[in-house]
Amino acid sequence: MNIKLNGYRKKELAWLYLFVAPPVLGFLIFGLTPMLFSIFISFQKWDMISTPSWVGFENYIELFKDEKVFKSLFNTVYLMIGIPIGMALSLLLAILMNRSIKGISFLRTMYYLPVISPIIAVSLLWQWILNQDYGLLNHVLWNWFGIKGPNWLGDAAWVKPSLILIGLWGGLGGNMVLYLAGLQSVSSTYYEAAEIDGANGWQKFMRITLPLLSPIHFFVLVMGIIGAFQSFSQIYVLAVDGGPEYSGATIVYYIFQHAFKYFNMGFASAAAWLLGILIFIVTLIQFKFADRWVYQD
Amino acid sequence: MNKRLKWSSLVLLATTMLVTACSNGGSSNQAANNGNNIQSSKQTTQTVSDTVADKDPVTIEFMGHGNPNEKSIFEKLIASFEEKYPHVTVKYTSVPPGEYSQKLTTLISSGKAPDVFYVGGSEFYRFAEAGTVLNVQPYLDETDLFDPDNVWSQALDRYRYDGAKVGSGDLYGLPKDVGPWAFVYNKDLFDDKGITPPSAVAGEWTWDDLLDAAKQLTVDENGDGKPEQYGVAAYSLESAVWANGGNFIDYDTGQVLVNEQAFYDAMQFVADLTLVHGVSPNVEAEQSMNGYTRFLNGQLAMFAMGPWDQPAFWELPFNWDIAAWPASPTTGETATWLGSMGFAISNKSKHPQEAFDLAAFLSLDEYGQRQNYELGQAVPNLIDLSKGEFLASDKAPASRQVFLDIIEDYGRPDVPAFSKDTQWIDLFWQQASRVWNGEVSAQQFTAEIQPKMQELYDKFNK
Repeated sequence: MNIKLNGYRKKELAWLYLFVAPPVLGFLIFGLTPMLFSIFISFQKWDMISTPSWVGFENYIELFKDEKVFKSLFNTVYLMIGIPIGMALSLLLAILMNRSIKGISFLRTMYYLPVISPIIAVSLLWQWILNQDYGLLNHVLWNWFGIKGPNWLGDAAWVKPSLILIGLWGGLGGNMVLYLAGLQSVSSTYYEAAEIDGANGWQKFMRITLPLLSPIHFFVLVMGIIGAFQSFSQIYVLAVDGGPEYSGATIVYYIFQHAFKYFNMGFASAAAWLLGILIFIVTLIQFKFADRWVYQD
Repeated sequence: MNKRLKWSSLVLLATTMLVTACSNGGSSNQAANNGNNIQSSKQTTQTVSDTVADKDPVTIEFMGHGNPNEKSIFEKLIASFEEKYPHVTVKYTSVPPGEYSQKLTTLISSGKAPDVFYVGGSEFYRFAEAGTVLNVQPYLDETDLFDPDNVWSQALDRYRYDGAKVGSGDLYGLPKDVGPWAFVYNKDLFDDKGITPPSAVAGEWTWDDLLDAAKQLTVDENGDGKPEQYGVAAYSLESAVWANGGNFIDYDTGQVLVNEQAFYDAMQFVADLTLVHGVSPNVEAEQSMNGYTRFLNGQLAMFAMGPWDQPAFWELPFNWDIAAWPASPTTGETATWLGSMGFAISNKSKHPQEAFDLAAFLSLDEYGQRQNYELGQAVPNLIDLSKGEFLASDKAPASRQVFLDIIEDYGRPDVPAFSKDTQWIDLFWQQASRVWNGEVSAQQFTAEIQPKMQELYDKFNK
């Protein structure tokens, strides 16, 4: 089939490709190529300085033999406890922020501030707050409640709760804004109808607000889980060398250590692909079950 | 249609998120790199005009890391090198220590290795094995800059490689420094209590003396169970193990030896300083305020230091001195580790002769070595300088001889120096907190961890 293009149409197409080119090329060069290369590397033994040698599936087999893989995966999944808590809290916050009281925009800004703060700076700040003897948190716990605070970042049992706490603080604002947008798009007609039928506040919340926000729940949940799988920066700062007994290391931290500390690039690539496949499967499952509980207009 | 869109967007989402997560480190490196290039191109245009006619101008790239002090010393040294070799321009880059290894490896793998760069123990091994670093033996044999008898062999031997193992064979690098890990004490605290301070002579002061002194020097003023002043902190496990006749590993056979009695007894001794005697801060106390800060605050009687700690310690309002590490009562011996950093030359350097000249100058030039020790960065690499003016210097510590004793007598290469992959020892340190906090005994712990360490060592080092 031969489509004849006149000059004007040709010119238009040329512009189209020109505009599309930067992101597409960017993705091809900096996204797809390294990704495909890492598949190739994951079947090799390579330390970046000597010639790579082909090892087949050995890297993948080794992965399943290393207890640190399971430990870091467990840590990663553990940190996801923070996701439902964060969702509940940010929804609560959004509802509180969704009314017209004085200084509301100031409050909204306050809650959003952690989201735009650099994560490294924030992590260093938390390191001070969580210090056992001199930290603000334990100081407050002792002076106000008479509770002797734990060694947040130094005790293997407390590292993960600390990380969850920091994650909550940092993530609330972002999710709050999403929920806020969701709340404001719920049509008031539903509430009016419910009121006529004699529904109380709680019923309105459970039967109208919550279900109509389900696309937001879904988005927050999917992004939260992916984000949790990838958490790295705060671990890097707060859990030195993976924290006591490797209790704070996440899977990405594990990959980072193998790639840029031990320079086992092949092994690290294999681990990265394991993570990629895991995220893919988990997200797939979420999408599969989404039909059952997410309302689409 | 809709379904396909959903699928492909899902794939895209998962994969791009993954890629972006791992790419953060790279971009910042690149930015730093660009900055350097701009800077260096300025430098070259400046110096091209005044080069000598008989030799073609040469630019040597040199990369290192370190604190601002070290950087300024090297800038001065490089200036005097360029004066001596007018046809050579040195492009010096100093990288934050945390990023150094990552950046260097990336440069090497992309074929842009600097001509001269710092190497540490396990890195050196990997580079020598991969043929990344130049064999400098032929250059050494010809140069007049270098008298091998006047350089600490303990430092030089670190940079030998015989085709299979580090420690013997031809030289593939030159020492930047030697770092004897010394035992330091707050003299005022000892004098106040009328306790005889630790001896500078190896073997005279034992673990029992240490414990005795530490008990008297641990003070809990308000009786809350948390002493304000501790006797000792960060007691070197290496020192304890070696003094006790134990070892982490036998590098000749590749056997991990942590499960031997000499080892776990020593480890238990270190743990008991905290657990039984309470004279050393426990893991929690150490986390809230580390030994270094406690020592600077005058709240710690005994600690450890390297020569590079001198500038900070010179500022202290109290008197301090170094001593021999306490000897094990079972053997009467003492030991500690001796660190070192070196200069290596890239095998791909286009100007190996000039690169070698620079490395040799930085490593061995008397003026540079003098600068280095006067600013409290290191013990000189040159033996006559060390035994002469370095020893005679009136700056603290008074017992400077201890540094030299460690180099000559009882210092040993730090544990990872001879292994190209350090996972086996990293695992040990990661898990050791279980002993430090009293969860398990040293004997139990070392028995459990030895097979895992052995497995890691065999897998990555053989």
